[in-house]
Amino acid sequence: MTRVSENSQSNALQYAINLAKSKMEDLQLKGSTLKKVRRPSDDPIGNIEALNIQAKNSDNEQYMKNSNYAMLQLSSTEAALEQLTEIVMVAKERAIAQSSDIYNPEIRKNVANEIRELLNQTLSIANKRIGNRYIFSGFSTLKAPFDIKGNYFGDEGHMTLEVSKDFFTPINLNGKEVFYTSENSDYRNEHPLDEFPDLYDTRNFLYRNIPKDQLEKNQAFIDRGRLNNSIYKKNTKPIDADFRRKDNIFQQLNTFIAALENNDANTIQSLLEKFDNTASRLVTLRTRIGSITRNIETSKDILESQVISNKERRSYLIDSDIAELYADMIKQESILKTAYKTGNNTINQTLLDFLR
Amino acid sequence: MSNLLNIGLTGLKASKVSLKTTGHNLANVNTEGFSRQRLLQTTNNPVLKEGLVQGTGTRTVNIKRVHDENAEKNLRDATSKYNFHNERRFSLNRVEDIFNEVDREGLNQILTRFFNSFRELAVQPENVTVRSVVRDNAVMVVEDIHRIRQTLNEISSQIDKKTESLVEEINQTMDQIAELNQKIQILEVSNQETGDYRDMRDIAVKRLAESFDLATYRDNNGQFNVAIKNVGTIISGPKFQKLQTSRVNRQESLNDTANSLSITFRERPEQNLTSKFRGGKLSSLMKTRNEDILRLQNSMDEIAFNLVNTVNGLHERGYVNRDIQVREDGSLPNEDQKGKITGIKFFRHLEDPKDAAMLIELDEDVLADLTNIVTALEPNSPGDNRVSIAISKIQHQKLFDQGTATLEEKYLQSIADIGLQTSKAIMDSEQAEGILNQQKTVRERISGVSIDEETANMVRYQHAYEASAKILNTADQMFHTVIGLLKR
Repeated sequence: MTRVSENSQSNALQYAINLAKSKMEDLQLKGSTLKKVRRPSDDPIGNIEALNIQAKNSDNEQYMKNSNYAMLQLSSTEAALEQLTEIVMVAKERAIAQSSDIYNPEIRKNVANEIRELLNQTLSIANKRIGNRYIFSGFSTLKAPFDIKGNYFGDEGHMTLEVSKDFFTPINLNGKEVFYTSENSDYRNEHPLDEFPDLYDTRNFLYRNIPKDQLEKNQAFIDRGRLNNSIYKKNTKPIDADFRRKDNIFQQLNTFIAALENNDANTIQSLLEKFDNTASRLVTLRTRIGSITRNIETSKDILESQVISNKERRSYLIDSDIAELYADMIKQESILKTAYKTGNNTINQTLLDFLR
Repeated sequence: MSNLLNIGLTGLKASKVSLKTTGHNLANVNTEGFSRQRLLQTTNNPVLKEGLVQGTGTRTVNIKRVHDENAEKNLRDATSKYNFHNERRFSLNRVEDIFNEVDREGLNQILTRFFNSFRELAVQPENVTVRSVVRDNAVMVVEDIHRIRQTLNEISSQIDKKTESLVEEINQTMDQIAELNQKIQILEVSNQETGDYRDMRDIAVKRLAESFDLATYRDNNGQFNVAIKNVGTIISGPKFQKLQTSRVNRQESLNDTANSLSITFRERPEQNLTSKFRGGKLSSLMKTRNEDILRLQNSMDEIAFNLVNTVNGLHERGYVNRDIQVREDGSLPNEDQKGKITGIKFFRHLEDPKDAAMLIELDEDVLADLTNIVTALEPNSPGDNRVSIAISKIQHQKLFDQGTATLEEKYLQSIADIGLQTSKAIMDSEQAEGILNQQKTVRERISGVSIDEETANMVRYQHAYEASAKILNTADQMFHTVIGLLKR
């Protein structure tokens, strides 16, 4: 039989009550904040997963903003291309009508005026803006890319945006590829990080083991900022004057006007093929934009469903399960009450009460 | 006949002492660390008389406390353990609070926003407003890194202050033990046990055990000694060695901090004891300071340093967002009216990772003019967003731990680490509290006063007292009888 002393008895009781009360307190906090994880130590792994999800979601929100902006710019570009195609088609129709030697000077004059109007329209399309940005001037977005003679002042830049992690999509076509016939419209997929060989190539990041040279690259990347030897000069080649004079839509329309005014049927006939080429090139460009837009839409759908499932997962990690909480609370309450009751029965009685 | 009177008297006295002891026990029922006392009594030396060996009553030998050396030792060890974990729980709780992002904003969110503002800038590289958003977000990153690092430093220096007063307290307690040793030695020359002083000494030793693991032993001369585990004997009978705290410079410190606290013996300041203690508050405080906080400080420095360098390395390559007048020959000027046109740093240059988290700041150029926030890789290209994109991709670069962790992963690892340590400390301290409580109960079961028991004893001793008095009474009557015989 173990000996029981006054202090051992009250000790045991105090410990039991304290334990029950601290559990109660914890449950109460969980109930009032509705969060089961209130600090990192409540669930160290769950906590960082929740933080990671939170960061991913803000990234995704940004990617969605980027997608929306890309779609806006691409749809404006698409609309501009559509208008351009119409203009070229109208020009071609007029050219067919006026390509024979039989002509009416009055009508030719009217047609010339019409084409001049088309030229103006073309200019306004070429200098189209979103906000203060000219969409057809490559990187020189604050400069009007074309003058009425069809001189191009922009550059060959392609802006890209990240519309979901590591998925970069071009959002503009430069004036050169849209308006110049001779340019090859084959699409070369430029990557915005091409000029940054330091950055680890996340495009190919599929393997777990990082190659050794990448580690060195990484270190070099960190060191570069420190050693201050990174000033890097890229020669920017302005679009040369020769190029400006090359064949473009403006040139074609101007030639057409001149030919109409000079009654030069041969030239008009030779333009037919050029108009055809231009039109087909514009169609190719529109198809390209269409496919880019579809890609963005798909990635946006994926992002949206990701955001929802991420939020769900975060809630699972962080938020209290109310039903479970309530059940636990009732259980703890009865434990505490029992502790109080037993204390009342034992602690207030001694042999003295019975020795009278 | 006088013999009978004498026997009665010894019984009477012994019962009285027993009753006194019972009274003493009852009076101290709530005294902390009190061990109940018992009167040791034996029979008196028998004598040969009238051809018979006869008893001569009872003899009181000693008042002994009821005490178990082993239970006391277990309680002491449990005390050390509990205080170690509890102190650790307390300080780590404060550390993890710095990194709590569950319901308020923390560095992870701010960093994410920082990178996303570069993505936003990539959408509108021409826009000045977005540049100011980028700068504001960068300022927030800088401030939050400062906040984390400074709070860590503060906790570390608070630990130092706490340790200082703890060592002061330890010295006082050692003084007290040495003094009690002396008193006990003097009082116990007659081989009597001084239970109350011994209880007081046990309490004081337990108070010492709150600070570190220790062992007690008796040396060859029977002196009571206390030794700190892994350090050595600090109390030897009436003598003791004082501990001393001092402040040392950064090179000598164990946590790479200037003016850091160090513990030595007062007599032997060359021997550094700071990290020698095991168990108890002292080693807990030093462990948190020298390991957990130091690790966090270092990883914050590394995060800040790599952030500064990678962002700078990319930012330097771009050209400012303003019209640059190209010279006649087509070459670029080195500067325009607002300063450099390329090679601009985003953060102020840092030479090495030491204290990077405290020193990180935006570069003056970036603070001075928003057009110095670079997006374009080529001059005069307001729509070129490649630098912004590249900077935003730093977010996904595996820059840490041999190319295995991104900035975010590295930071989250630190949080996970401190979270795990804290939750382990909480669990350990709860468990240690349970064990401590169990040991307390064991000690109280053996040495604690039970009112019921004392009451029963009181009744018993009272009866014995009454019976002994009756013997005296009887002896008295027998005297009367004898004297009456003579009168007749």
